Amino acid sequence: MLTAKKSLSLTPAKSETPKTRARHLGKHAYSVFRIIILLAIGFVILYPLLYMITTSLRSRASFMNSVRVWLPEKLDMASNYKVALEALHYKEGLISSLKYEMVSAVLEICSCAIAAYGFARFKFPFKRLFMGMLFLTILIPDTMIIIPRVVNNSQLDFLGILALVNKLTGIDLRPNVLDTGWTFWLPSLLAAGLRSGILIFIYIQFFKSLPAELEEAAWMDGAGPIRTFIRIALPSSGVVILTVTVFSLIWHWNDYFLSSMYLTGDYPLAVWLTMMPKQLPTMGHPLVPSHPETMAILMAGCLVFILPMLIIYIFVQRWFIESIDRVGITG
Amino acid sequence: MRKNKHRGIESLKSRYGLMFIAPWFLGFILFFAIPIIQSLLFSLSDVSLNNDGLATKFVGLQHYRYALLQSGAYTQTLGTAVTSLLYQLPIIVLISMVLALILNQKFRGRTFFRALFFLPVIIATGIVMDILFMTTGSMSDSTVNESLSGNMFDVSDIAAFLDLPAGISDYVEKAISNIFDLIWSSGIQTVLFIAGLQSVPTSLYEASKVEGATKWEEFWFITFPSLSQVTLLVMIYTMVEQFTSSRNPMIDSMYTLMKGGNYDETSAVLWFYFALVGIIMGILIWAYNRFLVKRWS
Repeated sequence: MLTAKKSLSLTPAKSETPKTRARHLGKHAYSVFRIIILLAIGFVILYPLLYMITTSLRSRASFMNSVRVWLPEKLDMASNYKVALEALHYKEGLISSLKYEMVSAVLEICSCAIAAYGFARFKFPFKRLFMGMLFLTILIPDTMIIIPRVVNNSQLDFLGILALVNKLTGIDLRPNVLDTGWTFWLPSLLAAGLRSGILIFIYIQFFKSLPAELEEAAWMDGAGPIRTFIRIALPSSGVVILTVTVFSLIWHWNDYFLSSMYLTGDYPLAVWLTMMPKQLPTMGHPLVPSHPETMAILMAGCLVFILPMLIIYIFVQRWFIESIDRVGITG
Repeated sequence: MRKNKHRGIESLKSRYGLMFIAPWFLGFILFFAIPIIQSLLFSLSDVSLNNDGLATKFVGLQHYRYALLQSGAYTQTLGTAVTSLLYQLPIIVLISMVLALILNQKFRGRTFFRALFFLPVIIATGIVMDILFMTTGSMSDSTVNESLSGNMFDVSDIAAFLDLPAGISDYVEKAISNIFDLIWSSGIQTVLFIAGLQSVPTSLYEASKVEGATKWEEFWFITFPSLSQVTLLVMIYTMVEQFTSSRNPMIDSMYTLMKGGNYDETSAVLWFYFALVGIIMGILIWAYNRFLVKRWS
């Protein structure tokens, strides 16, 4: 009450009562506390990154000296990275990362938006049941369904129709889509890709917060629902699209579980990276992963792996950070 | 007449709604519902691969019995997986909530800190973290985690000094020795909380200011109750994430089993594991609703 009055009359701090002084002190103490927390957590976040960078730059000679970890006596900019790039099959890996994962991320971003718009804007029978199913897809992890998915993908079928054709005529039309892009693209196209449930949920929250009047008006003017969606709803959803895109790209980039199950070669970068600790000994490096030399190469591998995502992040972080404020989740 | 026309528009609209969700529904059936049923069938059968694809022979609960009673390996990993989640969950929720509250305030350097704290979101949802914090498998003797946090704090000394009960000091020790892992796992949760904080109506804060509420009261009576649904979402997300993370010993052993083509046994163990996870999540969500949300709102 006191502070409110004071700020209204704009009197200087001269007429401070002990109570307001205590409040001021509390405020200062709080901002000190805040900066300490921020620095502490910031340190925890930066430390592993710096560790990765310095470790990856250590030269072979400097491994002998276990005391100087942070500033290696001799920097070796290239050799660890060269081995890491080779072990990661960087060029081929990057291409298949783009081909399989990134394409399916883009498909997922679009298909999830369509499904979410249906959920957020329209009333239809059994909507609660459908929402329940959507919630189930968030809860049940891919690990549970990966085995049947692999089996089904080896003989792609649509509700048993092609299997029936096979039984009746002996012609097997079921294609094996394992090791092709379709294994990744088909689920993404049907909004059943990597963590699609969460993306749909984020979209729904946002679409619900958009004022419906504009869309109603377009509707009254005779624009169809698809037109309204593309022309009116999507252009004002840049914020949520950005958030979803960042999440989807990152999750796909880091996914190795699905791709290591679906593919038998031509792996994306993420799979190569998981295989690196086992692959280095075959390239003539120490067998024990804890050996500093292996560690240095592993860290170089991690860094070149996150580099593309880091570059994207640096470009979009401004908008991404703002967008989170504006997406708004009410649960 | 008029009502009829209105209903016509409504039914048209509901048809459009169904049209929008149709692709998703098809995906749900093909890539979700059917595989789940298949996986349940696999867990109850002997699965073998031949040229015609897959042959299954129904054997009942045999695989469940083998995995849980005879092999003995899983029950132990199961215990580890569950206890490690129970200690991680509250800490991750706490860290991300505190971070979100701080990052939501206005202060100098906020943009910088936000950009910094979202870095784990970019980097840490995957293998880089596995390599950084490897604690299972062949790398157990070489954890970076150890070199990162091992010699930084000596928690047991502090705990002994403060004369804490053994249970609490163990808990704190475990939390601090994994603090890197925990903070790096709280990225998405922080983002969710920040997004949630935006939807708390500012009028509530203004009213409480007029009433002369302290910041502390403001948090407990406005912010926390308004965040209850987002907290639930964060809890669910964290649980799913931790239970399915490849650093989870259970998933690690499943992965090896699966790669070996041992489909039936894997399915059985996975079904049991996630049924258990489902029950634990159910209890936690119920307790959360019962004891925290009801009390404050």
